[in-house]
Amino acid sequence: MLDKLLPLLQLCDSNFPSGAFSHSFGFETYIYNEKINNEKTFREALCAYIRTQLTYIDGLACRLTYDFLQKQSKDDVWRLNEILAALCLARETREGTRMIGERMWKLCREIYPFEIWNDDKEKRDYIHPAIVFAIVCDHLEIPKDITVLSYLYTSVQTLVQNAVRGIPLGQTDGQKLLVFVQPYLIEAVQTIDALTEEDLGAVTPGLEIAQMQHEQLSVRLFMS
Amino acid sequence: MDEKTSIIGRVRGMNWSGLLQCTAVEKNGRTIVSDCYYEGAFKLARPIYLHPSQPTIYLMHVGGGYVDGDRYKTEISLQKQARMIVTTQSATKIYKTVKTPVQQYTSFFLDDQSVLEFFPDPVIAYEKAKFYQETTVYMKESATFIYGDIITPGWSESGGLFRYDWIRSKLKIYYEGHLKLFDHLYLEPSKGITGIFQMEEYTYIGSLFVVSPLITKDVLKKFENIAAHFPNEAHFGWSTPAVPGLVVRILARETYIIETIFQLIHQLIREECFQEEPIFLRKY
Repeated sequence: MLDKLLPLLQLCDSNFPSGAFSHSFGFETYIYNEKINNEKTFREALCAYIRTQLTYIDGLACRLTYDFLQKQSKDDVWRLNEILAALCLARETREGTRMIGERMWKLCREIYPFEIWNDDKEKRDYIHPAIVFAIVCDHLEIPKDITVLSYLYTSVQTLVQNAVRGIPLGQTDGQKLLVFVQPYLIEAVQTIDALTEEDLGAVTPGLEIAQMQHEQLSVRLFMS
Repeated sequence: MDEKTSIIGRVRGMNWSGLLQCTAVEKNGRTIVSDCYYEGAFKLARPIYLHPSQPTIYLMHVGGGYVDGDRYKTEISLQKQARMIVTTQSATKIYKTVKTPVQQYTSFFLDDQSVLEFFPDPVIAYEKAKFYQETTVYMKESATFIYGDIITPGWSESGGLFRYDWIRSKLKIYYEGHLKLFDHLYLEPSKGITGIFQMEEYTYIGSLFVVSPLITKDVLKKFENIAAHFPNEAHFGWSTPAVPGLVVRILARETYIIETIFQLIHQLIREECFQEEPIFLRKY
């Protein structure tokens, strides 16, 4: 396990240059409208985000990809990728996710030799970050539950970092939150494990509206 | 359309609670309903021409509501350049569903330059109802698809809101054979759906989807102008999907607020994209 820990730490490092720190995924609209304006309101929102978006979209996508890879079913991975691209109706969030995924995919292919993906000649103009993450972890032989949990953690970590800058919150508050959410993340992994592809993509209308409204915000720190 | 014919062949005889299939064709500048089949609880009245060349069809349910284990299927095909407006005669009511969730599948096949405007009445789920609905669109790049959907907080004897078990509503748009727009609403009140990121303390959800090559930057600019005057009571956002078009999501506390917005957008699209007069789906 020691040999697996280091690549996982690298992948989850907040300095890993995926570009995710430029995106708030709709949170900035709530900050702008002062619905999220302190540690308490942010914490509640973060828990709601874990229970909804992270469980039914990002986390489930990561787990399904991992399952498909275990079954050597690359076609299913690309089919899932197509669903994820079609699912995001807010343009900025869709573009942001595309940029992050693309950057991760390019970088990970530089640092790890994914021979099995070399036969993929089709030009992909979209690859979801959850899919890249699962592909890398599968390659590194990191177990499924740890893969999903780590992916949820990196997503939450980015949001917390962004909240520290955006609301703003103190650095210590941010770190306390990352401890606070741990049981929620573990619970989410268990929930995700019991879901099926039918559950994929259940959207949260309020968050989606916020992601859409972000396009028209007059003052913005983040690209989405 | 061989693929489609074989799908229709397979669908009949599958013991649906209601099945409806119809095809619209364009003849000398006028669309006519050329082929129509229905069985079970579904029925189609004679098309009404609210517009001189575009029929409006009213989907009817003769039973008054959907009950446990019901399965419904609707398939509507628009051939080249056909234009049709589709609505329902009344709200889709789903009664208490103890054993098997009610399932409703609706498919649209839109050939080159066809235009389909689909505005069903709201979905009303009663106490303990479980409802699965899936709408699938197979469209050509030159076709136009407009769809407005409303989900209400349901109805219960006690007057309480959100007493249904769950509603799952999926929309899949295959654009030149590729899935380009997928929407999935899942509402399970017992898990808490009223708060932040979800219903935000509102009670009605409206979703409007437009996929059309005629939604240009110029039309979007005009849309933005009218959106600034949407009713204050509505909480809404809009964006552009991965294919030319427009998506609008609305939260409100009353159906008519959403209907008003739908009508304003529908009217704008008819005027700006087709240079047509607005259509009012007179029902009541």
